[in-house]
Amino acid sequence: MASSTSTIQSKTGAQMAEKQPVSFWHRYKVGRILLYLALTFGAIVAVTPFVYMILGSLLTRGEMMLRKLWPRDPIAGLQNYVQAWNEANFNEYFVNSVLITTITIVGMLVVCVLAAYAFARIKFPGRDVIFGVFLATMMIPETILLIPNFLIVNRLDKLMRPIGLPWLNNWPSLTIPFMASVFAIFLLRQFFTTIPDELWDAARIDGAGHVRFMVQVVLPLSKAVLFTVIIFQFIGSWNALVWPLVVTSKPDWRPIAVGLYSFISEAGPELQLMLAGAVITTAPVLILYFFTQKQFTEGIATTGLKG
Amino acid sequence: MAQQSTAYVPSGRMTGARKRAIREAMTGYLFISPATILLTVFGLFPLFYAFYISLHRWRIKKGPFLGIKNYTKALGDPIDIFWFLVGVALLFLAWFIWRNMVKEHRAWAMALKFLAVIILIVGGWAAIAGFGRMVDSGDRQMFESFVITVFYAVGVVPLQLAGALLLAVMLYQNIKGKDWYRMIYFMPYVTITVASAGVFRAIFSRRPESIANQIFGLLGVPPQKWLQEPHGIWDLIFGHFGVNLKQVLLGWGLDPFLVFILLGPSLALISIMMYNLWVFIGYDAVIFLAGLGSIPSDLYEAAEIDGANRWQIFRHVTLPLLSPTIYFLTVITVMGVFKAINHVLVMREPAARGTVDTASLYIFDQFYLSTRFGYASAIAMVLFVVILLLTFVQNRIAQRRVFYG
Repeated sequence: MASSTSTIQSKTGAQMAEKQPVSFWHRYKVGRILLYLALTFGAIVAVTPFVYMILGSLLTRGEMMLRKLWPRDPIAGLQNYVQAWNEANFNEYFVNSVLITTITIVGMLVVCVLAAYAFARIKFPGRDVIFGVFLATMMIPETILLIPNFLIVNRLDKLMRPIGLPWLNNWPSLTIPFMASVFAIFLLRQFFTTIPDELWDAARIDGAGHVRFMVQVVLPLSKAVLFTVIIFQFIGSWNALVWPLVVTSKPDWRPIAVGLYSFISEAGPELQLMLAGAVITTAPVLILYFFTQKQFTEGIATTGLKG
Repeated sequence: MAQQSTAYVPSGRMTGARKRAIREAMTGYLFISPATILLTVFGLFPLFYAFYISLHRWRIKKGPFLGIKNYTKALGDPIDIFWFLVGVALLFLAWFIWRNMVKEHRAWAMALKFLAVIILIVGGWAAIAGFGRMVDSGDRQMFESFVITVFYAVGVVPLQLAGALLLAVMLYQNIKGKDWYRMIYFMPYVTITVASAGVFRAIFSRRPESIANQIFGLLGVPPQKWLQEPHGIWDLIFGHFGVNLKQVLLGWGLDPFLVFILLGPSLALISIMMYNLWVFIGYDAVIFLAGLGSIPSDLYEAAEIDGANRWQIFRHVTLPLLSPTIYFLTVITVMGVFKAINHVLVMREPAARGTVDTASLYIFDQFYLSTRFGYASAIAMVLFVVILLLTFVQNRIAQRRVFYG
């Protein structure tokens, strides 16, 4: 679907180029057409796996056996989704992922906004050194932290089980370690420092402290950057595979990525069911992306600039 | 923490301003405390803990203290490691002498240069011989996993950056539907890794009708086993012409490990590299696009007035001003390759016989499947040192090449 729109786009683009005066870079229409061809080729490469995923997920079992590419009866193919949903136990995994993502994002916002605000707008001894240490921890790859963190979470599990808060196979191990995101703190701090001091002076004259200034002035101004941070965390939580695999041994709290992974690797499903499962897991993120893609890409683009 | 803030207050009476400064500092510490605690527990302390674990026999439960035994098991006999390090040190010494003498033309400088060449040869020999013996006495599979990671990085980083830059430059032109293209290029990055990797598993399947076989069939490539193909790429290409490269190389008496390197990445690994390119080219292009947008247009105009052609403008205006972005993306990509685990976990097939197991995945297997916590931690520490060295080298290069406008 998306690929056909892009071809239409490129065609109209080429026609426009014939009418309009050409830009500095492309004096010749040939160059312009080649440009659109190359861009469209790239778009087709990017989109083909999605098309294959959707078409394949709608094939009936017989069609898959006959190596068909186009489903003859897509409505009947929807049966695959029901079957994959039930066989892979997506009901439970889906709820888990929503819960895990929500808890992580809320916690991350509280922890990171506070820290970023302090690093940006409060003066205290050792501030820059501590911030430097924060940034340095970003250089430590997760692979190295995996084993010690697993043991730490085990220890916390034993400690907290008596007070009714086990960590293993439960939400704390899946959410709390991710609440202090240095990346989020860095982005937020970067933005908070650009808020003019006059606003703070005015707020102080009105008798506001840091908390009120932060909640009533800084946060409403920071919607765009907060959104970027939330999106990143959303993708990260929805995507996590290795850590949830390690700290959960039962499906109770397993997120959807792990659900799909075990569906693929353990159940060895028929191809059309696996593709239906892939569509189910990806759909929420892609839908979110389509609705917010402008802020989305721009948010990510700016992170690259500052880095 | 409290001590630090009192350091601001000399003895004697507290004025209002001092009180306020202390209050301010206390608020600051309070605000950063949740993040600091979490980062210390889950981000910083684990690094030291991992080192502690690596010094023990540790299979789920902590065992006896082993000292460096886990490391020698992985890296080989200490004496071999020693010779390897001596060799590397000599190489650095040779490079250092040469660099300082290269502009001198007096006789003693010539003699020193001659000395540098000798040190270079001796150092190179010691490093290579030492490394060969390390592989023999150490964990061959671990060394192979590092070679696989290097294959992966060398294959992916240049292609990904060049492809992304090309896309970004094309998108930066005055074209219709720019937002549409950008949105489509970015879709692979947004998709859930397990899902897209699962789809690629089907695309790169060994069936003759799989998408990969059909597309490469158009280019005249016979059907391949893709993700299930453990043979190196050069082995396959030579095999196509009836030469068994592996047997030839082994027949020359080469070390099997060297043969493993010479045969190149397996087709299974190359399939995974193609997946990697598919995911990240669009992401890198979006970041490049933002970088291009931040270059002031009057620089282009000035270059145009000076009569520069398009290539000259790209080479002497765009590229230098884009170098911070290129550096940022290089670091991110290299780190990404060393962390690569999720998609490899989904796409690896038993038939690929471990030829896609990157260093991270090998560590994960040692930890998760074999429950060798101590040994896995030791390899993780080795990986950490390798990444640190790599970052250091990248930084050094960046200092000379990156232009911050």
